[in-house]
Amino acid sequence: MNKQSLAYTVIFTFIVCFVFVAILSVANQATAERVEQNQVVAQQRAILTAMGIEFDSDEEILGLYEEVEEIEVDDRIFYRTERDGEVVLATAFRGQGVWGTIIGVLAMDESLERTMGLEIISHEETPGLGGRITESWFKEQFRDREVPEGRLTYVRDSSPGAGEFEAITGATGTTDNMERILTDAVQTFKEKWGGERA
Amino acid sequence: MSDSAAPQTVGGVLTENLWHSNPIFMQVLGICSALAVTNLLVNTAIMSVGVIFVTMMSNLTVSILKSLFPRKVRMIVQVLIIAFYVIIVDIVLRAYLPDIHEALGPYVGLIITNCIIMGRAEAFAQSNGPLLSMWDGITSGAGYMGVLMTIAFFRELLAFGTLFGFTVMPAGFTPWVLMAMPPSAFFFLGIIIWIGKTIMYRQQEAAA
Repeated sequence: MNKQSLAYTVIFTFIVCFVFVAILSVANQATAERVEQNQVVAQQRAILTAMGIEFDSDEEILGLYEEVEEIEVDDRIFYRTERDGEVVLATAFRGQGVWGTIIGVLAMDESLERTMGLEIISHEETPGLGGRITESWFKEQFRDREVPEGRLTYVRDSSPGAGEFEAITGATGTTDNMERILTDAVQTFKEKWGGERA
Repeated sequence: MSDSAAPQTVGGVLTENLWHSNPIFMQVLGICSALAVTNLLVNTAIMSVGVIFVTMMSNLTVSILKSLFPRKVRMIVQVLIIAFYVIIVDIVLRAYLPDIHEALGPYVGLIITNCIIMGRAEAFAQSNGPLLSMWDGITSGAGYMGVLMTIAFFRELLAFGTLFGFTVMPAGFTPWVLMAMPPSAFFFLGIIIWIGKTIMYRQQEAAA
C-alpha cells in the first residue's frame, strides 16, 4: 500500500490516535478510584493538620477523622472536633494568590479569638518564594495566635505579636494576598459560625 | 546536529549526548525547564527522571513504528507519542506519588514542550534501530539531567542554604533571593556553556 496516499495517512492517523488515547483512558480509569481516595485523604490530612492533630500514617488519618464533625452553616462546611478537651473549629478557604488560587484550611478556637492552625492544600505561587507558604515556619505562626480585631496583618522587621504574622522575604505579592485571604477566612468564621451560634 | 559523523555505537552515542552535543549546553535545547525547575534539587531530580523516561520510551516507540509513518503526519504522530508518555507519567505520579505530583505542579505536563524529546525523536529515532534509539533517549535525558542538577545545586545552595532540603550553610548565611528566581538560571547556564565550550575548544586545538 502506498504510505504517502491520503487514505493511508488518514487511516494511520486515526488508528494511532485511537490506540494511544484508548490506553490512556484505561490507565486513567484504572487509577481514578485511587486518585479520588488520595484527594479525600489529602483533604482530611489538611483539616487534621490545621487543627493540630498529629498522625503517623494515612491509615491513621481515616480513623482520626471519624472524630471530626462536619457542620454546614449557610452553604459552608465547618469542621468541629475536640483536642485535649478544647473545641477546635476549621473551615476550608480559597482566594486569589499571585499566579493562581490558594486553597487551604484555617482552624480557630471556639471563641473565634485565636487561630489554631493553618494548612495549605494547593497553590500556584512561585516555588521557593511565595511557595514558602507551605513551609512549616510559615504555617506554625498561626498555631495558637490571638486575633484581637478579627484580622491578621503581616510584619516585616519585628517579631509578630497578636494578630500578626511574619512576611515572606521576596514574596510581597503572596504575603499581601495571604493577609487578605486569611482575614477573609477569619471574617467568615465570625459571620457564619459566630453569627449563627452567638 | 554535531559536526562529526552520526554516532552509531553505544559508546559514541553516550559521549555525544553527555558531552559533544549535550542537549542543554551545546544544542541549547530544553532551556525553558532549565530555568523553571532548577531552584530545588528534589524537583529537578524528579523532573529529569520524567524527561529520561519520556525520551527513552518515545524514542523506542518512534523507532519501532517509523517505517509505518506517512511522511506528512510524521511529526504530528511523534508529538502524539511524546504526549502519551508524558500523560502516563502524570497519571502514575498522581495515583501513586500524590505528594510529589503536588510539588511538581504544572512542570510534568510541560515535559511535552521540551524540545529535546522532539529533537531526539526526529533526529535519531527516525533513522536508527529501536535499542540504540532507546539508549540515545536515556543518554540525552542524562545529559539534560547533568546540567540541570549542576545548576540546581548552586541555586538551591545560594538561595536557601540547603541541598535536597537539608541545611548545609552556616547559621549566619543570608539567602540570596535572586537565586530562587528564574533569571539566576541564565547566569549559571551562561557560565556552564562558557566552561564547556572553553574546554571543548582546548581539546580541538590540542587535537589539531
